[in-house]
Amino acid sequence: MSAADLAGAKPLSGERAGALLRNIITRSGVIVTLLMLWEVAARLGWINTFLFPAPSNIAATIWTQSGPDGSPPYAMPMHVLRSMIRLLAGIALAVVIGTVLGVLIGMTRWARMLFQPLISIFMPVPTLAWTPVLLLLTGIDDRTTIIVVFIAAVFEVIYTIVAGIEMMNVKLFWVARSMGASRLQIFFRVIIPAIFPYLITGMRLGTGYAWRALIAAEMLAASSFGLGFMIYDASEYMSTNVIYAGIILIAVLGYLLENVLIGRLEAATTEKWGIQSER
Amino acid sequence: MSADLAKVLPMNARSKPKIVAKGIQKSFGNVLAMEDVTLSIQEREFVAIIGPSGCGKSTFLYLIAGFEKPSGGELTINGNAITGPGPDRGVVFQEFVLFPWLTVLRNITLGLDIQGVKREEAEARALKWIRLTGLSGFENAYPSTLSGGMKQRVAIARALTYDPEVLLLDEPFGALDVQTKNYMIRDLQDLWQEANRTIVMITHSVSEAVHMADRVVVLSSRPSRVIADVRIDVPHPRDRRNPTMHRYEDEITAILSAEVDKAMSLERQIR
Repeated sequence: MSAADLAGAKPLSGERAGALLRNIITRSGVIVTLLMLWEVAARLGWINTFLFPAPSNIAATIWTQSGPDGSPPYAMPMHVLRSMIRLLAGIALAVVIGTVLGVLIGMTRWARMLFQPLISIFMPVPTLAWTPVLLLLTGIDDRTTIIVVFIAAVFEVIYTIVAGIEMMNVKLFWVARSMGASRLQIFFRVIIPAIFPYLITGMRLGTGYAWRALIAAEMLAASSFGLGFMIYDASEYMSTNVIYAGIILIAVLGYLLENVLIGRLEAATTEKWGIQSER
Repeated sequence: MSADLAKVLPMNARSKPKIVAKGIQKSFGNVLAMEDVTLSIQEREFVAIIGPSGCGKSTFLYLIAGFEKPSGGELTINGNAITGPGPDRGVVFQEFVLFPWLTVLRNITLGLDIQGVKREEAEARALKWIRLTGLSGFENAYPSTLSGGMKQRVAIARALTYDPEVLLLDEPFGALDVQTKNYMIRDLQDLWQEANRTIVMITHSVSEAVHMADRVVVLSSRPSRVIADVRIDVPHPRDRRNPTMHRYEDEITAILSAEVDKAMSLERQIR
């Protein structure tokens, strides 16, 4: 019976992969068509090429700025790398602190009383509003942008973790406790895996918010590198090519972060465990 | 009721009382769920507890497991008061409650793993119960890929592997279809012989109770008390067609229906 179940699962996921592929082709078809129209319009002089430089021009800028002839050399990868480091550091902080706070709020009355009002007050504040304060506190420094990322992501992580704890079957704790598990063992071996699907959702949403907040914060609080800084700097020199290059890179990287990186994590864990289908 | 108890105690001379409940009360807020449950379960005895739905049979099991605390009365295991859950009592739930992120093997070894038993030894001990519960070949499967009957086998193997003195079964066949259920009942009987444990099983099926247990305890509707305590004097393995078993089934069904009727008419009066 279950062998048949196992066999039945294979063609289904193949079908799903096929549908996904068709979906990707249709979607990228829309983008490719738009880019081609833009290219033609720019070349024929239908649109102002200062405001809307041709995509081929933007691509050429990305190419030169990625090589030794960029100003400074290898500028583009340096900007991307710096933004990524800030993002990942901030997300890592948000995941660790957000998980601990979320579990405390979900499981203890005192943490709920203490943190719930603070979170309700601070969650609606746009992350960027903190930047001036953080600048005064830490100076123009990676710490400012990392903290901005942290603030942008942590609320989502806390919220989804609390939801995950509330959805948890209390009998999972019971089973673990009747096996003689300590509090620490229950935290790492029951709570963390049980809330993992929620943590991934929180990370996905948090990464989206954090990526936008980071680019904006880099315009205010970065001194040399980062995609936000690159765009801000290019606007001083009116290099629209570089500005568009920045926008495209932000879009592509944001897409890859949310869908590929976190999608991989999802496939390796909750999809393998078949948790969605069991709920 | 106390006469029933007196009748039961000396009969089981081969063993000593394992679990003793004296005047257990349990209330949830203003609702009194359990009025006075007094019961003694002997070592290696298989006791089935049956009663109208909502009578608090599962609550009684959770009290023995230590998940809930009684509001009054005395509850002991081996003469010591029960203060919380512990590895001396293994629990199997109707809804299996497996850890979906662990494979069958890791679900089953988790208890030993938590207790710090070495991985090879834990696996060796798990494999014995995997074989006996018919799970061989599914060690590396995740629970979501298993059928209900298989999941219940994993839950039973998981509880038996860390070697509890008492096995607590909370309507273990409730979520299974009839065919699977009949298989599982036969298997559990063999396992009981093999495991040689004290078993307390909650059920709402009279035939299940009579078929498997040494004793069937009937609880009243809420607030619950013990209203009957019937020893099933038929040697194992039991045959469903044995007429003595049918007499036991009829006897217990009669007690239970009378209690259900009483509960229903009371409910109507209140409305």
